[in-house]
Amino acid sequence: MEEASPIIEVRDLVVEYGKGKRKLQAVDGISFRVERGECVGFIGANGAGKTTTIKVLMGFQFPTKGEARVFGERAGTVESRRRIGYLPEVALYYPFMKARELLELYGGLHGLNSLELKDKIPRLLTQLGLEDKGEILLKHFSKGMQQRLGIAQAIIADPEALIFDELSSGLDPLGRYDLRSVLLDLKARGRTIFFSSHELSEVETLCDRVIMIHKGKIVSESRVQDLMKPLNVFEILFSLPDGGRMPEILNRFHPVQEGDLFKAEINEVEGYSQAVSALADAGASIRHTFSKSTTLEQYFIDLVGKS
Amino acid sequence: MRSIWLIARSVLIEAIRRKEIYTIVLLSLVLIGGVLSIDFFEIKGLTKFYREAALQIMSLATALTVIVLSCRQLPREFENRTIYPLLAKPVGRFSFLSGKLLGVLLAAAFCFTLFMIVFALGTLYLGASIPWIHFLEYIYLQMWAMAILATLGFFLSLVMNLDAAITMGALFFIASDILINGISYIYDFVGSWARGVLAFLTFALPQLSLFDFSGKTIHSEVWPPLGIETLGILTLYAMVFTGFYFLLSILLFRRRAL
Repeated sequence: MEEASPIIEVRDLVVEYGKGKRKLQAVDGISFRVERGECVGFIGANGAGKTTTIKVLMGFQFPTKGEARVFGERAGTVESRRRIGYLPEVALYYPFMKARELLELYGGLHGLNSLELKDKIPRLLTQLGLEDKGEILLKHFSKGMQQRLGIAQAIIADPEALIFDELSSGLDPLGRYDLRSVLLDLKARGRTIFFSSHELSEVETLCDRVIMIHKGKIVSESRVQDLMKPLNVFEILFSLPDGGRMPEILNRFHPVQEGDLFKAEINEVEGYSQAVSALADAGASIRHTFSKSTTLEQYFIDLVGKS
Repeated sequence: MRSIWLIARSVLIEAIRRKEIYTIVLLSLVLIGGVLSIDFFEIKGLTKFYREAALQIMSLATALTVIVLSCRQLPREFENRTIYPLLAKPVGRFSFLSGKLLGVLLAAAFCFTLFMIVFALGTLYLGASIPWIHFLEYIYLQMWAMAILATLGFFLSLVMNLDAAITMGALFFIASDILINGISYIYDFVGSWARGVLAFLTFALPQLSLFDFSGKTIHSEVWPPLGIETLGILTLYAMVFTGFYFLLSILLFRRRAL
């Protein structure tokens, strides 16, 4: 029964802050589901309602109307949190604790015994590039190191679902790479992942589905591959042989010279095949070609700009 | 129970590593200095003075530590946002607050242990005997007073800002005796409705002086230790107030948006 039910289910959720004239509607009647094994990105501009929604899922904020359920339980109950790993938007941890002690605390709260913790903590620290930092007080940790530790605490109990608020915020490129590896591994193992992020390229890479929220309302909910539509624009990067002439058909597309190479953008399918044949006939060396498609970022800007 | 213990442990680690308890160490050293000076000036027969000073310092320093620690627990968690990863774990808010309470009480016990060592060494140094039963009863009752102060600290920190909570907690500790004595004094001079208010206040405010067994510990040769029955009644009295403030705190905290 439970296997078929969604991991996260939000129905007509409304969250208001303040009262009377100072009332602010942070979330305005949103509904969505996240199914088992899915990786879903939750994106929106600042103040769109992402963090508030995630806070409701974790029980930090209470719905004004509507409901949110996690693993079939009312969101925020101890039972619903037992199977979740959570990374907050701003990850700050007790500065007076050592990294190992912090993971012992959080792992222990998740019910791991000391033997399991002894085994898991060094592995996790290594996985997140903190292998020699276990005995260092957290007040000496940089923001990026705290964020890595945050990921470690979120996955320490190998939860069935992960909820990350502002994934990769504060991480350097190496940290992002490590995080992506961790998430891809979790995804491959069938874990359900729901995260908000401003890094849309990350959402493109990791997610099956994306939910866009704007001014408290959901404005789009689609599979990522459906949003990444081909634009029928092809880019060709090539070089001409010594003394070689630019084929006539290429001149139609105004190729741009970049050092020894030329770059042409061709916006018709037929023209693209003709250009490739003409370049081959002219003895040109084609370095790469690719078909351009809509980026998530472009889609998001178009959508939010319109609304 | 394990989650309560884990949270309590983190409070104790904080209290020790943040050097808050070092104030107690410093005061202990002052105490030792005091003992040494008594010996230096060859002043004899002042064991009782030493006992009184030691017990007063012990009570005041521990109470202030407990007030500061308890008032700071929740605001600091909110301010530093450390509460989010913690309450994202399968821990209820009741367990969270219970862990915090246990942690503050462990910190108080740590202070008392430190003072007990200093007190015992000082007393032996002066060549006097230690009234162990009196002394342990004194510590036991003081621990209950600390439990009341700790839960009061949680409650205050949930209804006012941190600075105000610490000030109110400290004022209450220092002024509770004066307040209760004042109530007794003016009771006979006021009208019937005011008497009702005063009677209400007498029962509504915990009388921390009931837990101050220092006088009898100082003059232990005159006063017998407390009987089990008296200790039981005082324990019950403390449990009622500790439970009351804890209940108020949990009622405020459980529906608080973070």
